[in-house]
Amino acid sequence: MAGDALTAADMAQVRDLFEAAVDRDGDPAAWTQSQDAPDRVKEEVLSLLEHHSRAGSFLTPPEPGRLADIFLDTPALDPGTTLGAYRIERELGRGGMGCVYLATDTRPGRAVAIKAIAPHLTGSDVERGRLRREARAAAQLSHPGICTVFALEERDGEQFIVSEFVDGQTLRGEIAAGGLPSPDCVAAAARELALALQAAHGHGIVHRDMKPENVMRGRDGHLKILDFGLARIDPRPRMSDAAFDDRTSLHTTQSAVMAGTPAYMSPEQLNGVRADARTDLFQLGVLLYEFACGEHPFSAPTPVSTIGRILASEPTPLAGRRPDLPPSLVAAIECCLRKEPRERFVSATDLLAALDGATGLGRVVTHAGQDLSPAGKATWWSAHQLVAIALYFSGCVMAWTIKEWTHGLTTAAFVALGGIATIAGVFRGHLVFTERMNHSSFPAEWKRASAVLFTADVGMAALLGADALLVSSIRPLLAVFALAIGLGIALARLVLEPATTRAAFPGMIER
Amino acid sequence: MDPVGRTAFSSGVYADVYGELRRIAAAYMRGERPGQTLQATALVHEAYLRLAGDGALWNDRQHFIGIAARSMRQILVDRARARGAQKRWAGLDRVSLTESLIAAAADDAMLPALDEALTRLEAIEPELARIVELRYFVGMSVDETAAALNMSPATLKRRWALARAWLFRALSGGS
Repeated sequence: MAGDALTAADMAQVRDLFEAAVDRDGDPAAWTQSQDAPDRVKEEVLSLLEHHSRAGSFLTPPEPGRLADIFLDTPALDPGTTLGAYRIERELGRGGMGCVYLATDTRPGRAVAIKAIAPHLTGSDVERGRLRREARAAAQLSHPGICTVFALEERDGEQFIVSEFVDGQTLRGEIAAGGLPSPDCVAAAARELALALQAAHGHGIVHRDMKPENVMRGRDGHLKILDFGLARIDPRPRMSDAAFDDRTSLHTTQSAVMAGTPAYMSPEQLNGVRADARTDLFQLGVLLYEFACGEHPFSAPTPVSTIGRILASEPTPLAGRRPDLPPSLVAAIECCLRKEPRERFVSATDLLAALDGATGLGRVVTHAGQDLSPAGKATWWSAHQLVAIALYFSGCVMAWTIKEWTHGLTTAAFVALGGIATIAGVFRGHLVFTERMNHSSFPAEWKRASAVLFTADVGMAALLGADALLVSSIRPLLAVFALAIGLGIALARLVLEPATTRAAFPGMIER
Repeated sequence: MDPVGRTAFSSGVYADVYGELRRIAAAYMRGERPGQTLQATALVHEAYLRLAGDGALWNDRQHFIGIAARSMRQILVDRARARGAQKRWAGLDRVSLTESLIAAAADDAMLPALDEALTRLEAIEPELARIVELRYFVGMSVDETAAALNMSPATLKRRWALARAWLFRALSGGS
């Protein structure tokens, strides 16, 4: 290029000549030719003048028009820098919340993923505090189907979420790659994801943003759900075309990168109603449907019409798109897609029960269109609880009667029995209530209550046995009754209850 | 920028200035100053005030603005590279060039190529490169740039015209 061939001295001359010529009225080129200067200088000036006349608005306006975007996009962490105990290795990608990095935890030396939360998403100190709490809650979740959150790091007012590094591909990638998964593969995905949701819901954590982008298949072939408990910091979804369908989106605009995904929102989310565990089930239904056949269940030509379909119309029947899937699996997926949360499965546990039926691992295979919620089994379970409470009551009556016939220890036994029976009765009543009215927190409540109930039942059986011994010499018949009630309580707890609970809530006792 | 330039950028004063620019921009984005649009010039001025308050390091304001402008250039070019600007730039039709080049100026596709041209210009006429950094990468006005570089606005305008012509020619691949 001519400019490069010139010496610095030539360049100074070029500059002076150009500057003298550029503002001149008339013909700057002719004026330049008339000047006394080396030809190579004049040639250069003429070339520059020529380009000057063509440059138009080149380099104006200045580049940094939208500074916020620039800093949003700029990696905050360069490879080699450290953040707490983590050393950044490289950038993995950019998502809705900001950059994601691969890093090494220098203590155990394991690989972790670090997600930088773009500062504008966390806003005020209040919101940052909430993110801190939610990350702490998410860190409690440890399940093979959930990408574990390790820590929340902060630096210069920016927040970073440190989580397990899952090496693999997202379900979006698998869907985009084309080719339909086998029925067994769909059933396995449904089961793994339902198990993960069950574990999270048991801790009272809902995802709210389940979608193929948030599920990774690791190298071992198993699925993991990402970003649990963090959906609330996701930016408010926007109805832009690019955001709507990630397959077509090339992330060309900032808003597209930042937007959520209305296509995976449940009717109640779109209506602004608070999301609960059943929202996750709806989103899981959309995800599984799409995974099974490659098409969104409510696909429509435009984003707005898709939202309209989510709110108002039935999904395109999956059986028509995948006739080879077992009808019970199709029915389970479609049950998740019901508009009304109360028409869906009550919990991930119920979905699992239906899936176990569907995959032949469990009980009767239900037929398509039938209500798959094992509400009947839950009723049996409730009946068991009420019978147990009745047994407590009769145990107390028996202890009171025995206390009337003898003195001393039996009074203490009656008082103890009454106290234990009250506590255990309240717990059982609470469980029945929770199961009916607040199902999402039921597994957690059940876990909490089961140790208490076990101790109480064994204690009551022992007390009744002791009472029977004490009274056996005076009133043998009373002793037999007391022994029978005690045995009844013990057997109900040790034999019957595991059975009714397992039938009503499969998967809960095994854990 | 060449490897040497990068090394210099990621250490010492450049790192300080870069970090400060980032912090201030992040604070704006968190809405600490609602109702304002962050301008690059304001950002650089504020970074200067903060760092100058820290000690004697930044008693030379012009020196600081030069470094800040270089930081902005680096930030913008790196960002464009990360977004795959080279590929888009290579895809542009530079034969029917004028229109596409002027259009490209609004896009960041051009930035890596502009950065390389600017590095070449810097080698023969450093002052012109400084002007481009202040005018284009920081968005300073003619008067602000002239004051920062200690020259009259009229001179600055002519040198800016020269720099633009030179870069326009360099990017259009002509001579």
